[in-house]
Amino acid sequence: MSDRALRCDVAVIGGGHAGVEAAAASARLGCDTILLTPDLSRVGQMSCNPAIGGVAKGIVAREIDALGGVMGRATDATRIHFRMLNRSKGPAVWGPRAQCDRALYPIAVRRILDELSDLHLVQETATALVMGDGRVVGVRGRSGLTVQAAAVVVTAGTFLRGRIHMGGEAGVEAGRAGEAASVELAHTLAECLEVSRFKTGTPPRVDGRTVDFTRLERQDGEPGDYRFSTYVCESIPEQRPCWITWAGAELKKVVRRNLERSALYGGEISGRGPRYCPSIEDKVVRFPNAPRHQVFLEPEGLGTSELYVNGLSTSLPGDVQVEFIRAVPGLEDARITRMGYAIEYDYFPPHQLRHTLEARRVAGLFLAGQVNGTTGYEEAAGQGIVAGINAALTVQGREALVIRRDQAYLGVLIDDLVTRGVDEPYRLFTSRAEFRLLLRQDNAVRRLGPVARSLNLLTSSQNRILAARLQREDDVIEWFHNTTVSAQRAGPVLESAGYTLPSNSMRAVDLARRPGVDLAELARVGGAPFDVETNAEALAAVEIEIRYQGYVRRERERAERLQAQEGFELPSGLPYESFKSLSTEARQKLARIRPSTLGQAGRIPGISPSDLQNLVLEVRRHARGRSEPRAEVAMPPAVQA
Amino acid sequence: MVSGVEVDTIAALSTAPGVSAIAVVRISGPRAAAVLARVAPGLEPVPPREACVAAIIDPVTNETIEQAVVTQYPAPASYTGEDVVEISGHGGWLGPALVLDACLAGGARLAEAGEFTRRAYLNGRMDLLQAEAVVDLIEGRSQALRRMALRQLDRGLSERVAALRASLLGLEALLVHHIDFPEEDDAPIPVTHIAERADELSNSLAALLETAAEGELLREGALVVLAGRPNSGKSSLYNALLGQERAIVTEVPGTTRDALEAAVSLGGFPFRLVDTAGLRETDDRVERMGVNVARRYLAAADVVLLCVEGTRTLGTDERDFVRDTGVPVVVVRTKADLDVTAVHSGRLEIARDRALATGGTGGPEDACATLSVSALAGDGLGELRALLPRLVYRGLLGTGADSPVLTRARQARAVGRALSEVRSFAAALRKGAGPEIAAAHLRVTESALEELVGVITGEEVLDRVFAEFCIGK
Ligand SMILES: Cc1cc2nc3c(=O)[nH]c(=O)nc-3n(C[C@H](O)[C@H](O)[C@H](O)COP(=O)(O)OP(=O)(O)OC[C@H]3O[C@@H](n4cnc5c(N)ncnc54)[C@H](O)[C@@H]3O)c2cc1C
Ligand SMILES: Nc1nc2c(ncn2[C@@H]2O[C@H](COP(=O)(O)OP(=O)(O)OP(=O)(O)O)[C@@H](O)[C@H]2O)c(=O)[nH]1
Ligand SMILES: [Mg+2]
Repeated sequence: MSDRALRCDVAVIGGGHAGVEAAAASARLGCDTILLTPDLSRVGQMSCNPAIGGVAKGIVAREIDALGGVMGRATDATRIHFRMLNRSKGPAVWGPRAQCDRALYPIAVRRILDELSDLHLVQETATALVMGDGRVVGVRGRSGLTVQAAAVVVTAGTFLRGRIHMGGEAGVEAGRAGEAASVELAHTLAECLEVSRFKTGTPPRVDGRTVDFTRLERQDGEPGDYRFSTYVCESIPEQRPCWITWAGAELKKVVRRNLERSALYGGEISGRGPRYCPSIEDKVVRFPNAPRHQVFLEPEGLGTSELYVNGLSTSLPGDVQVEFIRAVPGLEDARITRMGYAIEYDYFPPHQLRHTLEARRVAGLFLAGQVNGTTGYEEAAGQGIVAGINAALTVQGREALVIRRDQAYLGVLIDDLVTRGVDEPYRLFTSRAEFRLLLRQDNAVRRLGPVARSLNLLTSSQNRILAARLQREDDVIEWFHNTTVSAQRAGPVLESAGYTLPSNSMRAVDLARRPGVDLAELARVGGAPFDVETNAEALAAVEIEIRYQGYVRRERERAERLQAQEGFELPSGLPYESFKSLSTEARQKLARIRPSTLGQAGRIPGISPSDLQNLVLEVRRHARGRSEPRAEVAMPPAVQA
Repeated sequence: MVSGVEVDTIAALSTAPGVSAIAVVRISGPRAAAVLARVAPGLEPVPPREACVAAIIDPVTNETIEQAVVTQYPAPASYTGEDVVEISGHGGWLGPALVLDACLAGGARLAEAGEFTRRAYLNGRMDLLQAEAVVDLIEGRSQALRRMALRQLDRGLSERVAALRASLLGLEALLVHHIDFPEEDDAPIPVTHIAERADELSNSLAALLETAAEGELLREGALVVLAGRPNSGKSSLYNALLGQERAIVTEVPGTTRDALEAAVSLGGFPFRLVDTAGLRETDDRVERMGVNVARRYLAAADVVLLCVEGTRTLGTDERDFVRDTGVPVVVVRTKADLDVTAVHSGRLEIARDRALATGGTGGPEDACATLSVSALAGDGLGELRALLPRLVYRGLLGTGADSPVLTRARQARAVGRALSEVRSFAAALRKGAGPEIAAAHLRVTESALEELVGVITGEEVLDRVFAEFCIGK
């Protein structure tokens, strides 16, 4: 490598959501970090809907924040509409969701990145990896720049051999509308990694000045200043409403008539798309009897009248889009500002990765985001922060960070990717987590804050905020356990929840156990020494812990059992093929995926409990066979099922 | 998620059931000694491989079950290479089953066919060829058993199970839709609707569970105990029903002193026939023990054949016995050939008095049948053979051949657990506990039914959701 190369510890390719978090985390851990991206004004650009969060995804956004990430702060600083989804259900499944100003978001991201002195942003397109001794040692750029690095994180999103489709044409090479695809980089990566293809799509945008709002249903956001970020208090902008309309028979007729002109249905696209982000073509074909489909019109920003037409993602040609938009009530005269399109791109099937997100076959190469077969900003950012942390920890020779499934959705996400692989773009749902009650938005900081602190990811002021916050929660919990509330004071709170008056005073915790009782009210009438407003999250945590005690305990016990299995390590290089007591399917899958623990083996589809039982015995036998006579191998503590 | 993959401790009867005079229950695994401590709490420490006598108790009831010989073989020098305990007790059917049951209650899991051998192989105690030979033997035998007794009766279980699985999946899908997709085209599904679907699932689980009692009988064979006063002709009837001279018959009252047990198939259904010592107060120690054994068998019986000579009027003790026995009792009028006036030989009478006395419904299940039989001449034997299946396998005879039956206690336990969880699921939803809480119950349901219906993966649930609902924007 030439002497004129830039040198750094960690190089990050791509300035999307994954790249931003990877670069920021690495820099916060004190590594010299270089972020390469073709257009610095688009760092943290939102390719699709400018919305962060939702059910499960909102929890991930908070987890990223708890680790000191960028996403939560940038969202707080640019959100123009906020709602807590599932508010009517239990706090365990609440999903904070924010609509952001598309133009302001990248500016906020850039501002937050600029706080990091160890981070160097360079506008450059990476064209190749530099290899040496079977590992990655650097990155080469289009302008002739070479960056020498001990670890490289690739986060090139939908850009790798990206191809955009609008209608039944062959499509054009692009990474996003108006941006160039990454072809050279894709080719070098394909030399060392298995590659496959996925697709996704985006809907058209319309000019808000041409929409008849009188025909739409207005949906205001929630008042209040909910924040994703725990550590930094960004100021929240002015809020805007969203609008709802329904696409009915008219639109379906237009779509059906033009189906063969769709890239998706004309057979132009080979990659698989996500079922949960179906195009309007998909909806019409798969649900012919559905009378209508919901369409959300969402503001793109404070400085623009453009609206994002959520629900009408498409790969139909422009003229059809113009026609079908007019078939939607309220949009009869609407003008399209940007056409919807579908995009297909390369990804690397993630079973090639370790839990650290390092490629098994190429030391020093980390992958995060859409390139691993996921979809969504939060999923990308979450992998980004974990990959960035692990790249830095490797360079520093420190122990890797592997987040457990019972610890965070991030753990679920990465373990699913690495263990089960993907056969459509992967998105998080709460149903993917087996510990739904433990993984909540309100306790993300409690779960991951201490991890961040021990890794040294937080500044000293953030550490102080964390400590204070955890202390406040403990105080709230303690108050409920140690306070008795008189019948007279508790009366109104109980009555409004439909209970009769208690005959004597009761402990706050026992009153709180009753469904429907408002904990904030109870704290108020009980004369709690803490401020109810600022401790809303602590209250939610207490509510869960108190009201769902038995259930939470059951989940914790299961989590412990799982950990016992995780503690049983499967040495690398086990001769799975020779384990005759396992089913053939189990042998093949284990040999391919090479799980690192028994717990991981158990999550591989097709591996039965009896396979696992036999696996334990085979491993012990194998260990005995190799070491001296009958040395016992450490076993996980026996746990009764 | 798969639970409990640690090497656990297993137990099983390692001698052929019911045949040998001594039955050995073997326990293997890391907790073998702990299980032994639960079932034989009085046992003093003994050196390895040294046999000693110990009282075996049922750890749940603390009742003494058996005086047995216990031997411990610590790992690795044991049959399986793990810690092994062997409990040798009296043969027959009931005693060993009670000991085994105590071991299960004490923390062991019932071993699957071939599991001891598999462990022996994996721990290097046996080579593969040897192990395979043993496993073949075991599986071969159980298959033969199944062919014999269950050939027509297990069919249909798989269809029922598939339906259960589908309905479980459907329930999960509704819940996932409810939690993960709050803002879709389909308006939120009312929780009452989800609760109703859960009720449907509980109904099918309950229906399946009802077959479990008979299913278990099918597997083990229904226990038919011959009882009566000494010399009433029990052993002769026993031999006649078996078609071979197994029990000693003499004209001396008190001939049979210990229980004798044998398997027999009547009308295609499996039975275990037990001849016992005649019931009477006696000073003879051995005979008294025999009488006690008989009482224990009677307590476990599925049907009792009360043998009464000829036309002798029933004594009060016999009447009381008929009234107080919770299972069907057939009063067998023996030695019909001797009684010239026994014109009703071979005729079956269903007496309603017991039903009336016990406040039952008066159906055949409450009834006490009377039948005249001659073990010597064979009169009435055919009727008796036809009567027994009708008394025990009533439900199965009524439902057609393709109606599913739970034949394993393990299955029944799993279905029972699942049923109570589904009920809690519906109750939680109706109480407004929130879908995420209800979901916790559904997870337990799934893991309880895992062995029966297979693992339900999150991916399958999502497939179902996307197939059923138009989701996403
Ligand atoms: C048309 C479209 C529709 C989508 N629809 C949805 C949807 O419906 N739902 C959903 O959840 N998600 C959707 N997404 C996905 C969402 O945008 C991504 O999941 C998310 O942005 C992924 O983040 P990332 O950081 O992995 O990649 P991206 O955000 O794509 O960022 C990649 C970054 O890498 C840079 N880069 C690329 N090549 C190079 C190179 N050679 N050298 C240096 N830098 C490079 C790019 O400039 C960019 O900054 C859509 C994306 C697109 C493009
Ligand atoms: N004629 C005739 N004699 C019978 C019949 N059944 C039994 N006996 C005789 O009755 C006597 C007692 O028969 P067992 O079968 O030994 O009677 P038991 O009830 O088993 O007697 P204990 O074991 O002593 O309680 C023997 O002498 C038998 O031969 C029968 O059907 N007809
Ligand atoms: Mg006898």
